Amino acid sequence: MRIGRRSSASARLSILVAVLSVPAFTGVWELVARSGIVNAVLFPPPSTVAVAILEWVRSGQFFADLMASLSRVAAGFAIGAAGGIVLGVLTGRFRLVSSLLSPLFHILRPIPPVAFVPIVILWFGLSETGKLFLVVWGVFFTVWLATHIGVQKVDRGLIRAAQMLGTPQPQMLWEIVLLGALPYITVGLRTAVSISFYTLVAAELAGAFAGIVYRIEIAQQNMQTGQVMGGLAALGLLSFVADRSFAILAERAVWWR
Amino acid sequence: MTPGLLRPDQSLRLVETYPPSAPARQAIIQVEDLSIVFDAPSGQVVAVDRVSLAVAQGEFVSVVGPSGCGKSTLLNAMAGLEQPFEGQVLIAGEAMRAPRPEIGMVFQQPHLFPWKSVRRNIAHGPRALGKPKAEALRIADDLIEMIGLTRFASAYPHTLSGGMQQRVAIARALANQPRVLLMDEPFGALDAQTRAVMQDNLLELRERINATIVFVTHDIDEAILLSDRVLIMSAGPGRILKDLEVSLPRPRSSAIVAEAAYLALKRDCLDLIRSEGRRAFEQMEIKT
Repeated sequence: MRIGRRSSASARLSILVAVLSVPAFTGVWELVARSGIVNAVLFPPPSTVAVAILEWVRSGQFFADLMASLSRVAAGFAIGAAGGIVLGVLTGRFRLVSSLLSPLFHILRPIPPVAFVPIVILWFGLSETGKLFLVVWGVFFTVWLATHIGVQKVDRGLIRAAQMLGTPQPQMLWEIVLLGALPYITVGLRTAVSISFYTLVAAELAGAFAGIVYRIEIAQQNMQTGQVMGGLAALGLLSFVADRSFAILAERAVWWR
Repeated sequence: MTPGLLRPDQSLRLVETYPPSAPARQAIIQVEDLSIVFDAPSGQVVAVDRVSLAVAQGEFVSVVGPSGCGKSTLLNAMAGLEQPFEGQVLIAGEAMRAPRPEIGMVFQQPHLFPWKSVRRNIAHGPRALGKPKAEALRIADDLIEMIGLTRFASAYPHTLSGGMQQRVAIARALANQPRVLLMDEPFGALDAQTRAVMQDNLLELRERINATIVFVTHDIDEAILLSDRVLIMSAGPGRILKDLEVSLPRPRSSAIVAEAAYLALKRDCLDLIRSEGRRAFEQMEIKT
């Protein structure tokens, strides 16, 4: 009884501390930034950051930046993921296709997508195509590898059962094999969500005319540190929301587990 | 297995039963001098060694033997899932090179499609063969009624018990109206009570379908209860030792296991398996 009461008290304390954690650190940050210990121009207090965010939203630029960044991530993710799934099913299922493509993919995959920025600028200039290319590149290999492995791990019994029932080859690939590998594919897709934001940063830093990271860069050049931090916060929030919603989506997609 | 290792009476029995006497009814399954060889790290392993047998149209034949004797490999060859090293398997006069929809299979695990409801799992075969959706679902509904799972038609496999899942797997295999139904230890993963119920269900089911059934098991009781004929296999390499006619009257139920005729038959089987087991064991001793 005593132990129960004590543990429930400690559980309540943990929740309280968790709720107060972010406000407490924000408060400390505010105090430190205002105290004069640090340079407030380089390290502005959260109140300045909040004002900068408010101004960003009010000017209408925030929405334009958000849409520019989101559409790059969404389009790059969709194309990269679709390509990764299709080729992953083919390389995972057919040894000949795998022999043809896997060596190439394994050489290209470890090169960090950011390293392609210089050549992407040479190829595409500052166009949207170049940005799309970077995001697609980052997403593709992760999804391809997850699908390739997932397809090879599909329950053999499931495939044999489908074979015995006369399942034609296209249905075997795009229903039995694809859905059988889905638990692996969703893990790859979720990793790719983070990667798509990571490559977005590189793509927008390389030169853009709108976008959240573009706004951060402009603000940095104007010494608007509050706006820089506001941009970082927006990027963090966006990436967090994307990851969480994808996790919920993935759980529903593989409901039978 | 070299003949020299057999006791004289045993080899005599082998001569008596092999080659099998021509079945009175027309054979739908003919296995001719079938050998299947696997590549293993230690070299080639002969899983099935020159097996010949014939199964007549409508017959229920069990294949019994210790684990690893190649009985599942033999069944997979009949299914077209395993290719012969030598010899051939003919079903309805045609060599098995790949699975054919008129040959259904039930595995030890149900292997149901986890993303499909019971109804859609059973309708999968007819749909795959190009039947219209409405017809496929009608076939599924009839079979669901036959296996007594009407209440669970729209349930997903992971919500069902092991026995129910296996009933769905049997119904799914029957949905294509197979001429031959191959069953690979279908009740081996079930608990004893469920297994007894499933055996009775299968006996009832058999009265209503006209498929030829080949049933692999390591359970002699199960084999005698269900079959018209029991083939006893020896281990390493897999050969057929004995072909036993089960002339117990039908319809049968699991109550049969207490009858004298049944017990006599079982004693024959056990004697054979015991001496075979001893032989295999001694052979192993000599090797090591």
